Amino acid sequence: MKVTFPHMGQVYLAIKGLLDDLGIEVVVPPPITEKTLEIGTKLSPEMACLPLKINIGNYVESIQKGADTIIIAGSCGPCRFGYYGVVQKEILKDLGYDVNMIIFDPPNSDYGVFIDKIKKLAGKNSWISVAQAFKRASAIVKEADEMLDIALKKRAREINKGDVDSRLNCFEQEVLSRHGNDEILETIRKYKEILSQVEEKSDVLPLKIGLVGEIYTLIEPYVNLNVEKKLGYLGVEVYRSITLYEWVKLHLSLDVKYRMRHKRILRKAAPYLSLCVGGHAWQTIANTIYYSECGVDGVIQIMPFGCMPEIVAESILPRVYQDYGTPVMTLVVDEMTGEAGYFTRLEAFVDLLEQKRRGRVDGYKEGLFGN
Amino acid sequence: MKIGLPRALLYYNYYPLWHAFFEELGCQVVTSSTTSKSTLDRGVMNCVDDACLPIKLFHGHVVDLIGRADAVFIPRLVSICPGEYICPKFIGLPEMIKSSIKGLPELLVLNYNAHRNHKDVHKPYIELGKIIGVKPSKVMLALQKATEKQQAYEMLLRKGQTPLDILKGRKYSKKEECKGIIGLIGHPYLLYDEFISMGIISKLRNRGYDVLVPENIEQSQIEMACSQMPKKLFWSYGKKLLGSGLTMLEEKKVVGIVFLSSFGCGIDAFIVELLQRYNHRQYRIPSALITVDEHSGQAGFDTRLEAFIDMVEWRDEREGYVPPYGTSIFGY
Repeated sequence: MKVTFPHMGQVYLAIKGLLDDLGIEVVVPPPITEKTLEIGTKLSPEMACLPLKINIGNYVESIQKGADTIIIAGSCGPCRFGYYGVVQKEILKDLGYDVNMIIFDPPNSDYGVFIDKIKKLAGKNSWISVAQAFKRASAIVKEADEMLDIALKKRAREINKGDVDSRLNCFEQEVLSRHGNDEILETIRKYKEILSQVEEKSDVLPLKIGLVGEIYTLIEPYVNLNVEKKLGYLGVEVYRSITLYEWVKLHLSLDVKYRMRHKRILRKAAPYLSLCVGGHAWQTIANTIYYSECGVDGVIQIMPFGCMPEIVAESILPRVYQDYGTPVMTLVVDEMTGEAGYFTRLEAFVDLLEQKRRGRVDGYKEGLFGN
Repeated sequence: MKIGLPRALLYYNYYPLWHAFFEELGCQVVTSSTTSKSTLDRGVMNCVDDACLPIKLFHGHVVDLIGRADAVFIPRLVSICPGEYICPKFIGLPEMIKSSIKGLPELLVLNYNAHRNHKDVHKPYIELGKIIGVKPSKVMLALQKATEKQQAYEMLLRKGQTPLDILKGRKYSKKEECKGIIGLIGHPYLLYDEFISMGIISKLRNRGYDVLVPENIEQSQIEMACSQMPKKLFWSYGKKLLGSGLTMLEEKKVVGIVFLSSFGCGIDAFIVELLQRYNHRQYRIPSALITVDEHSGQAGFDTRLEAFIDMVEWRDEREGYVPPYGTSIFGY
C-alpha cells in the first residue's frame, strides 16, 4: 500500500510524519505547479470549485509516482467538499486509475465505520501507537503554524527583502528528506530558531491585514497566489483567521477552552448571520468583526470561484463594513486568475489603507466593493 | 395585510401551501410578476456578482414586490429532510436579501429546519403567525388546510402534469402520436420559469415529444436510485435530480435527457457530472447539458435544442452515419 493525499499548505508535514510513524509507505504529491492545475482543470467538471481541480491534479501526479491509495477528509454538507471523494473517485475510475480511496467522514453516529477505516490504514499497529502518532502529528501542525506566524511577522519587518523566504525555501528542501514525526518536528524547531534570528527593522509600524475566507484558499499558498508573501513584501503584517492547527483543535481534539473562544467569536456575527451556512462563511463574518475590534487596518476575503457558502458571506460583508468601518476586499481565485491583476488589486488595497491611516482619504466609502 | 410572495426559487415547489396558508390566515397574497428582462436586470443590479442566476432572480422578484406588499415572505429552508440540506445560499438567503436590497418592507422569514428533527415542522409556521398576529390554534388549522392543498398538488404532479400546466390551469394530456419521451432534468426554479428556461417544455412538446420532469417521479423511486451511491447525498434537490435521472435511464422510457442548469450552480456541477458519467458507462442515452445565465440568448438556446432533437431522431433513422451510442471519434 502506497498512500497519497491532496496538498493543503503544511498539511503534508503532519500526514507524512503520521504515516511514516505507522510504517506506511507514503507518496508526498509533488508540489502544486501550473502542471498540476492543468491536469486538474482538464479532468474535472468545469463548474466544480478550484480545490477539487487541484486535488485531482495532486492525485494524478502521485499515482504516476506509484501511489495506490488516497486518503482524504470528508464532511456532511452543505458545502460541496462533502461530496469531493465520490466525484473524484468516479473521475479517476473513468481514467482507468483503480485506486483505493479512504474518505474520513466525521463520525456523527456511525463510529464503527470510522474505526474500521482507521484500522484499514493502521494495519498491525496497536491503538496506543496510533494515538501516539496522532498526538505527535498534531504537534507538527502546531509548530509548523507557529513557524509560519514567525515568518508573517518577520516578513513585514525584515531588513533584507527575501531573507525569510530563502530560509523557508531551505526548510521545504530539507524537510522532504526527513522521516517520521520526530525528525520532521526537529527540523521545524530548527527553522523556527533560524527564522527568529532574521534581522528586522526596529522603527517600522506595519499595516495589519486580516485574512478571512474559505479554508483551502487561505491555507494553500499556490491557490491564493502567495498572498501572505505578496502582502509581506508590501510591508504588511498578515493575520490568518483560519490555520491548520485551529482546524485540528476544533475538529480533532477536545480543547474545551478553544471551543468556547471559537463560539464567543462566532456569537459576534449574530446581527448579520446567526447560523452555519456551510464551509467557513459564518467564521468569515465573525472573524471580520473580531479583526475590526482588534484594530486591524483591513480585511481580505479569499474564496474560490463559485464557492457557495462564501458567496453568502461576500454579500453580507458590506454591511459589516458600514457598521465597523474596516475596509474589506474580496478576492476570487480560479484557474483563470492572473497574477499581475491580482497583485495590482493587493497593491491598491494596501495603498488605500495607508492613505486611510494617514487620515487623508475622505469619501471613499463604498469604494472598495464592486457593487 | 398584503403579503408578497416572490415567484422564484422554491415558489414552484410550495406555492399551493404558502398561498393557501396566508389566505387562511386572512392575509392578501401578492405574487411578484412573472420573470421578465427587467426582473432579471434588477436582480443582477441588486446582488453580488458571484451569486448564481436563481439567487439573482430571487433578488429581482423581491425588488418587484417593494411598494406592492406590506411584507415580503422569504423562506429560509435549511433542510427539508433529516440529515440533508438544500444549498448554502438558500440558508443565507434572508441575510443576502437584507444586505443587498435597500428600502425593503418587513421580511417574513420562515426558518424551516428539519435537519435533526422532523416532528416540529409546524413551529416555524406558528412563529410566522405570531408576527402576523394570529393565534397558534388558528395557524395550525390554516397549516392543515394548506397542507391538504399541497398534497393535492403533488398528486397531480405524480400523474404527469408539470407545475407550469397546473399554474396556468390547462390540463395537459399525452398525445396519441408522441415521438417519444424526453427527460428534462433541472431545478424547478429554472424549468418552470418560462423566461429562464425559454419555454423549453412547450418547445419540446411542439416538436412532438412528451416531457418527463423530476416532479413526475415518485419519491420512493428517487430514494431507491440514490441508495446505490457510495455516500449519502446530502442535498435534497441534488438527490431529486440525480435520482430521477437515474430512474428515467433505468426504466428506459426516455429517448433522450436534457439537463438544464444555471451557470454557477455548485450542486449541479457535481450532479450533472455524476449522471453523465453513469449514463456514459451504462445506459448510453443521448444527453445534452444546457447552461443558462443572465446573458443567454434565445437563438443559441434553440440551436442547441434542435441539434439535440436531430441527434435523437437521426439515431433511429440513419444509425450508420452517426455515432450511434454516444462514442465519437473524440473519445468521450
